[in-house]
Amino acid sequence: MKVVTAAVAGLALCAFASVQAAYPDRPIKVIVPWAAGGDTDNIFRPFGPALQKAMGGTTVVIANIGGASGTVGAREAKGSPPDGYTLYAVHDYIHSTYYIGISDVNYTDFEPVCLIASTPSIVTASPKTKWNTMKEMVADAKAHPGQISVGATLGSTSHFFPALIEKAAGIKFKYISYDGLAQRMNAILGGHIDLTDGNLTQKGKVDAGQLKFLATATEKRSPELPNVPTLKELGINVEYAVSRGLLAPKGTPNDILTKLEGACSQAAKDPGFAESMRKQGTDVHYLDRKGYASFLKDNDTLNKNLARELGLLKR
Amino acid sequence: MTRDGIAGLICLALSLCLLVLTRGLPKSSFVPIGPDFYPRIVLAIMALLSVILIATDLWKKRARSAKPSAEAVADSEKRNYRLVGITFAVFAAYVVLLPFAGYRIATFIFMAALQAVFEMPRSARRWIIVLTSALVTAAITYLVFQHYLSVLLPRGSWTNW
Amino acid sequence: MIDLLLAGIDNIVHLKYLVPLFLGTLVGLIGGALPGVTITMTIIIVLPFTFGLDPLQGLATMTGVYVGGSAGGAITAALIGIPGSPSAITTTFDGFPMTQKGQPGRAIWLGIWSSCFGGLLAGLFLIGATGPLAAIALEFGPWEYFSLFVFALSMVAGLTEGSLVKGLLSGTIGLAITIVGFDPIMSVPRFTLGTEFLRSGFPFLPVLIGIFAFAQLMTDIEKMDGSEQTSAPIKAPPLTVSHLKVLWEIISRPFLFIWSTLVGILIGVLPAIGGSAATVMAYDQAKKFSKHPERFGKGNPEGIIASEASCNANVGGSLVTIMAFGIPGDAVTAVMLGAMTIHGIQSGPLFVSQHPTIAYGIYAAYLLAHPIMVLICAFGARLFLRVVTVPKSMLIPNVLVLCVIGAFALNNIMEDVVVLLLFGLVGYALVKARFPLAPLILGLILGDQIEVNLLRAIMSDPDPWLFFTRPISGSLLGLSVASVIFAIWQHQRHKGRAEKIETEPDF
Repeated sequence: MKVVTAAVAGLALCAFASVQAAYPDRPIKVIVPWAAGGDTDNIFRPFGPALQKAMGGTTVVIANIGGASGTVGAREAKGSPPDGYTLYAVHDYIHSTYYIGISDVNYTDFEPVCLIASTPSIVTASPKTKWNTMKEMVADAKAHPGQISVGATLGSTSHFFPALIEKAAGIKFKYISYDGLAQRMNAILGGHIDLTDGNLTQKGKVDAGQLKFLATATEKRSPELPNVPTLKELGINVEYAVSRGLLAPKGTPNDILTKLEGACSQAAKDPGFAESMRKQGTDVHYLDRKGYASFLKDNDTLNKNLARELGLLKR
Repeated sequence: MTRDGIAGLICLALSLCLLVLTRGLPKSSFVPIGPDFYPRIVLAIMALLSVILIATDLWKKRARSAKPSAEAVADSEKRNYRLVGITFAVFAAYVVLLPFAGYRIATFIFMAALQAVFEMPRSARRWIIVLTSALVTAAITYLVFQHYLSVLLPRGSWTNW
Repeated sequence: MIDLLLAGIDNIVHLKYLVPLFLGTLVGLIGGALPGVTITMTIIIVLPFTFGLDPLQGLATMTGVYVGGSAGGAITAALIGIPGSPSAITTTFDGFPMTQKGQPGRAIWLGIWSSCFGGLLAGLFLIGATGPLAAIALEFGPWEYFSLFVFALSMVAGLTEGSLVKGLLSGTIGLAITIVGFDPIMSVPRFTLGTEFLRSGFPFLPVLIGIFAFAQLMTDIEKMDGSEQTSAPIKAPPLTVSHLKVLWEIISRPFLFIWSTLVGILIGVLPAIGGSAATVMAYDQAKKFSKHPERFGKGNPEGIIASEASCNANVGGSLVTIMAFGIPGDAVTAVMLGAMTIHGIQSGPLFVSQHPTIAYGIYAAYLLAHPIMVLICAFGARLFLRVVTVPKSMLIPNVLVLCVIGAFALNNIMEDVVVLLLFGLVGYALVKARFPLAPLILGLILGDQIEVNLLRAIMSDPDPWLFFTRPISGSLLGLSVASVIFAIWQHQRHKGRAEKIETEPDF
């Protein structure tokens, strides 16, 4: 018994010991501001191991800090020490939540590290609707303004995408609040909403006849969906994708950022990561620090204008 | 008034306070009813139920003013409320200490303190058992969660450890 | 479906999953057997250990805990006459007398085998019924969901022990906790008093852990007298028994066994009625149908079979409701649902069809947990009695540390640990005021959903009468009213009887 106690105590002391070394000498935390299993989580989970490999084996931990439309995680990331041990996984919501007044965290509170992926939006319709093409839908919407129901997270990307279509096609939708793709899918399959912002992950259900893809929001037709027209082809000038990248708290030292940037560009080329992105209907879209900075700036202006047009601008 | 009545009064006060706070919540053009609609329903129901609870309590009391109630009998049992209070205090201290001292140190102190509160060690041998078990809990949970399960535990801002 | 299940079993039968499943079942058995540590608490304690695992590993662990915990209560119930968990209360009625008559082996193994078979039979139902029920659930619009949640809440509040008003009030307090913080539609901060701390509201898991863990631990601490004696280990009686004889005792009563299992499944499927209700009801039924009702309470095997078969069948039934509708039955299932959410499982109508690997993995884990449970009992039943005697002065601090980890690790912020402490105080106060906790937890878990579905319904169509005129929604609301009226009627009927003995709150 004594031997066991001694052994356990010895083990315990080992756990308490730590060694100091150059960055990175302890696990890097990537804050995902939504619950595990969401779209963003699904993209950063496979990115974690790839980044870990590129960082020479330093553990990369995905920490889900969910709650309040992703703003709790944003605040936590903003308040973290700028030492390169806390990164923040972000998408376009950071602009919209700022301008709508939900959050007081702006993209300027962070240093860009890299953009890694973008997921193009697809106009997705319930099987219980009578339209088979985007044109029929638009005609129906013109005949019955404010009647077609769209499931969306109000004030976020799934709301802004149909709002852009409304503006470009001169129609009016009725919005019903459904947070997150999973809930929207339940509702659209049961016919409780007519339209929603979908993506390629739902292709299986379209093939099985449970859903209808009306149009994609890409520049060219997707090779996976050769029969689905783009919105541009139909004269609706909308391109839309949800872009996800990594940010670090403002004031993170330059050499650490450079190191992270290098690791990111390597991780973005990882075949395992590419494969899991392909499965999720997402394009690997790498931008370095400089490229990501200007991307964020453009996106910010776009979102601000959109929020103003929707009458949601609070700043 | 028994504890039912007091509980009812507290709930009533709480629901009325919150009802006052529902005033002036901004409405959105996308949602036909405001963010105050549902809370008001819930709080109104809560207030109503509290009133019923208080009323039945007062009414019951009049009905059985003479004989001691079952509740009173149950209360006369020996209950160590002092120990409950101390436990809450020790736990609160642990919560406060965690972000400053870090998980490992705070947990060690908490474990040792609470065990001592429950059963004051009277011999050196008991002290060794208490301290060892505190050390083991702090270390094993840290090892298992931080290293094996990738759950990051709080680091101390004073100790950076 | 069969091939999916086989694939599921094939999936689970890897060390990667078998080890968590085995450990989960073991810990569940111990937790279930420890008087004062309920299944809910065991699941809360185990949950943070699964955060770092992949979803199926985590869910296999949780399923093991749930199955093991439901069976574990029988061990202490039969051998020392204390229910290890509330749902094992009816097992003490006949199990302990049987032990006193010198047949501890018979008592405990009747319980374990009945649990195993009852659970397995419910497993068939789980696999067969989840799909069709999910298809029905898909047709549920916001009106139906709103009414279903209201129905669940009214049932649980009405059926709790003690005062109906307190049950309903407890449920309402649960709902009120969820209205603090951002509103779920436009994220308008509510009741925050201008603080950052309250903006995101009270996160579910820390509130739940706080209320339950403290309510229970503090009630235990009250009874400590400061100088706790290191209790003498209870002598474990020999548990040898002829398994064939015990099995025959069960098989020779097919009607009793199947009827108890069905009661267990039904209570499990109905949203919002917990495990203790299932065993009490099954025991009551067994007594009513028995030719010799006078033998109950004196070591009648029928009592053990009814109580334990229904107890584990209840687990299978409630898993159906969690998976198809995403609605928890009681505190235990609420935590199970929370565990699924944490592992990224959006349970609901599409869960089985979208994540067949995980869904069938859970089925397989559920089925395998039963033989594992029997195996562990065969080797370890006597050892459990030793664990049961671990001094509380050492157990409680450890449990509290795990509660802190559980609350912190979910979102990695210290605020959640503060919420844990806050609701620890609230939970203890509620227990002292004799409020039932189950309705509160249900209100807490359904609160946001009730609000969101109410708003969705109104956003889809402003006509409020739709809640009553849509057939499913209307009948569910009718049932809610009926269940409250029924509860009032029942209370009136009981009033004439003598002052009720206060039972310990059902965690």
